Formats: sequence, structure tokens, C-alpha cells
Amino acid sequence: MLKLTDYEKAMLEGRMGKFKQKAMEFNVRYAKVLGAEEFCEVSRATLFIGAQHYLDCYKHGEDYKRIFSEFYLCSNEEIELGEMAPECKVQTCAASCDMWNCHKTHLSKEYSDKNKAYTEAARKMGVKIVESCTPYYVGWIPLMGEHFLSTESSNVVISNSLFGAYGNSDGVEAAVCAAITGRTPKWGMHIKENRYADCLVNVKCEVESVAEWDILGYTIGRKLPKNVVPAVIGDFKRPEINRMRQFASSISVSSATELCHIVGITPEAQTLEMATGGKPCRHEVEITKDDIAESFSKICDAGSGPVDYISIGCPHLALDELKEISEYIKGKKIKDGTELLVWTDYATKAMADVNHYTKDIEDSGAFLLTGSCPVVMREDSHKHATGMVMNGVKQAVGIRNQTKAPVYFGDIRRCIDAAVKGRWEEIE
Amino acid sequence: MQKIIIKGRGALEGTASGPAIVFPDSIAGNSGALGDIDGVVYEKGNINFGVSIKNAILVVPCAKGSNGFSAHFKGALIAGVKPAGWISTKIDARLGVAIASMNIPAVVDFTEIDPIKVISTGDWVEINGTTGEVVVTKNDQTVRE
Repeated sequence: MLKLTDYEKAMLEGRMGKFKQKAMEFNVRYAKVLGAEEFCEVSRATLFIGAQHYLDCYKHGEDYKRIFSEFYLCSNEEIELGEMAPECKVQTCAASCDMWNCHKTHLSKEYSDKNKAYTEAARKMGVKIVESCTPYYVGWIPLMGEHFLSTESSNVVISNSLFGAYGNSDGVEAAVCAAITGRTPKWGMHIKENRYADCLVNVKCEVESVAEWDILGYTIGRKLPKNVVPAVIGDFKRPEINRMRQFASSISVSSATELCHIVGITPEAQTLEMATGGKPCRHEVEITKDDIAESFSKICDAGSGPVDYISIGCPHLALDELKEISEYIKGKKIKDGTELLVWTDYATKAMADVNHYTKDIEDSGAFLLTGSCPVVMREDSHKHATGMVMNGVKQAVGIRNQTKAPVYFGDIRRCIDAAVKGRWEEIE
Repeated sequence: MQKIIIKGRGALEGTASGPAIVFPDSIAGNSGALGDIDGVVYEKGNINFGVSIKNAILVVPCAKGSNGFSAHFKGALIAGVKPAGWISTKIDARLGVAIASMNIPAVVDFTEIDPIKVISTGDWVEINGTTGEVVVTKNDQTVRE
């Protein structure tokens, strides 16, 4: 039986306006679907909104108020747009295009203008325009035990696992309604008892580089039983946040994982006993070199071949990686007819501008872009590509659903090498 | 024709029926994995690649992939290609949002019999999202296989 506080009842009964009422009606239906018994207070949210392609179901020129009402508030009635809950820090997630440079990604001004209009409407509701799928690099960090919502699956894994904050992988309608009401069902990862590991993952292969952590995440996700909380053990060097970012993004591609303990690293898993709550794991999984090789064959096409579309930065890159790219690319030229896109958020790009990284990167012919990525921009941005190299397992797997071109996967340096040569070279 | 009755938890009230499409490895929520306008599965490697979800009962173990999962199904609903209902071995947040947002009948959280193991694609399925009852009429062809 779902219990509501007086404040929640006031929202549901419309005493705080229709905007909050409709959002609370959704929250109640969502809570009943989950089987939740109460709500918890949400203090942070990121929203995958703007002219995202899931809104392609609406004809061009459709009123955004109607779209917002129907899509996010699940209301057939058109609702006056109000404000987000003041106690919830709300910002945008990945955008459907770069705010200023859509022409560099083959998207029309008309599309860019639509995205700007939608994000401006969100800004007026109190949503901060940040356009990042790695919001922790620019200050969005929920602390241990803090309840959050994020529409970015990798950010959910990072926030649950690395920060010890409490959140589920919900979805955009739930995130919007939580941001409006400051409430979400207290269920799943919002409850400590559900956060103990029940699947031991023993990594028995070498894992060191950022790309190796990326493939490891995908491999663990592929081999996990459904509906478990994993605890990873193994003889590996302590991963820093960029490795954890890749790991979190790729485990979210091949599984529905929301929290992944890494014993000795993540805060709720300083020991295995702490991770499991002292209970034996119901499942055990081993990750071997062969498993990694099998994953690689799913992520990266075999052989060598010409490429003309290369993208680095899934999820969005940190400033230290832009430094690394600028140093490696300085003095090189991207081959004519080949595109190299490098993705970060615009706040980080501003720091890259100050540090001259942007100049060094763009002098090569590459573009340093913000807020989006090829998968989110969809086919219009890359349908001309005849051979692709993607940095980031999530991007390499996701783009396959949108293209018939060969797709290769490589670390930052191999991506740059491929862009300079216009060719992907397989390593024997 | 063989009939099987299994019981889960009614997650969203109402009744629905239709041919089952079984996704043993679920459907990815990532952009492009489900056609936002045509409701066709485009996820590479998915056992139901190229199949439309329209008017079907979708049978999944859970959700998978991006947190955009619900949004792509919602887009398909608005475009007029919604499924008739959902069956899931266990509920999770991604799927919960999709069910609540689409507001269509769903039965979830099966503790005794896993629907993935007893329902085959092409079986006719009736679900009751109020009582949690699922009636499966086996397709003769899937029984022979």
C-alpha cells in the first residue's frame, strides 16, 4: 500500500497547481507499477530533454507545451508549464546536437533552432542547461545516501557505485516528474537493503588501460545473470575516474546494472563482506581473457579498412583527456574527406580554450564539440560515413543500430591515427 | 491447443491480449535500437531484429541499456505503434517507467515460473494487469518445435 505525506497529498490533489499535480499522478502510477510503499526526497536530477529524437513522433512545429504535457507528464490535457522543485538541483543531460556547431555535424539550422527553443523552455522551468552525460566533471555530484535521478545510465552507475548515492535507472518521464515534485518512489537502489551484492565477479585477466576497463564493463554486463548487484574482485591496479566512467557506461549497455561494487575501491565495498552484507553470493561469474576477446569481436569489426568518420568522447571527456589529445594531435593533419569529432561538455571546453587544447586539436582539422554524440544525433549526422571508428564501447555498439558502415573500436590514440591516415589498421 | 496459466504481480491494471514476442535478452534502450516512429526493433544481434512491437504482448526478463528505454517506447506509442501489454520476469526501474508512461496493462515479478521459459514468440497471450493472471495459448507450431 502506497503511503503519501501531507505534502505529497497536496501535490496530488492539485493544491500546488496542475503542473505538480500531473507530475505527482505519474509518480503515483510509477510507484504502484514498481510496488513501492512510499516516496523519497530527490535533491539532484539530470534530464535527457531538448529536441531529442524520441520526440520525432511529433510533427514539425508542434507546440512544446503540448509535447511536454503529453510526453513527460503523461497528460492528455495541455498543462501550463511551471517550475522545477526548488530543493532539486536539475540540469540537462546529453543534448541532441552541439548548441553552436550543428553545421559541423551535418545537422540543419532548423533542427538546431528547434533544440534551442526546447532547451530555452526547460531553462525557464528552472532546468540548468549543462548538456553533459558526465556531469560529475562539472560539479553535479550526489553524495553518499543522497537520492538522485539521472537519465544517463553511466551516470547512475557512477553515482551509485563511486559516490554511494542512491538512484535507479528510471527514464526521462520519471526524472522530469521527480524534478518537478522533488519526489520519486523509494524503491530499488533507494533502499540500502537492496544495494548489497549478490553476484561475485572474479576478474581473472589483465585490465589496465581506459579501453580495457571499457571492454571489461561490457563483458561483465554480458555475462551477469539478470537482476543482480555485482561485486567485482581481481588483481588490478586501482582505477581512476576516467576508467570508471568507461566501465560504468559499457556495463550499462550489455546489462541493466545500476550499482556495481568494486571491492576495495567503491565506498560500500571496502571489503567483500561489506559489499555483500555478510551474506553468501547467490551467483558467481568469472571473466577470462577469452571472454574479453569475444566481447572485442562484438565491438570492433575484423580486419583493416578505409574510414572517414571518427568520434572520440563517449561518455564526454575530462579536461585531462583533452590535454592528452592536444599533445598527441599537435602538428598532425586529419586526412581530407575524414572527420574527427571530439566530445566534451561546454564548461570543460571553455577550460580547454583557455589552456590552448582547443586550438591544438582544431588546427589538425578535428572539431572539439560539446554536449552531444553521434548516437544521440542519430543518422542525419553520420549517414554519409563509409567507415567509422568509435572511442567508447557504448558508442561503438550503439552506432551499429544506425549504420551499415563497418565500425571499429579504438582508444584515443588509435582513433587519431585512423583519422590522420583515413584508415583503420587492425593489430595482429 | 495447449493452454498454460501462470501468475505474477499485476503492475498496471486492465486486460490485454495479443501474440507474444519473447525477448530473452530484452531490448536495448539505446537510441536507434527501437524505431521511435515505426516501433520496429533495429538492435543489432537482437533475436527479434526487424520485428514490429505493434499490438504484441512483449515478454522480457527485465529492461536493458540506456535510460532512454521508456522514451523510445513512449515515442512509438504516440506514433501509433504501441504494444498491447508487457510481461516481465522481474520489474526494474527502466521498465517500470515505460509501463507507467505508456499506461498499458502489465504483469511482472513471477516467483514460480519464468515467463521467458514457458512463452514462445507467436503464442497467443491474455494478461490481466489487475489479478496478475497470464493465460498462454500455445501456438501449434511452437509446441512442435
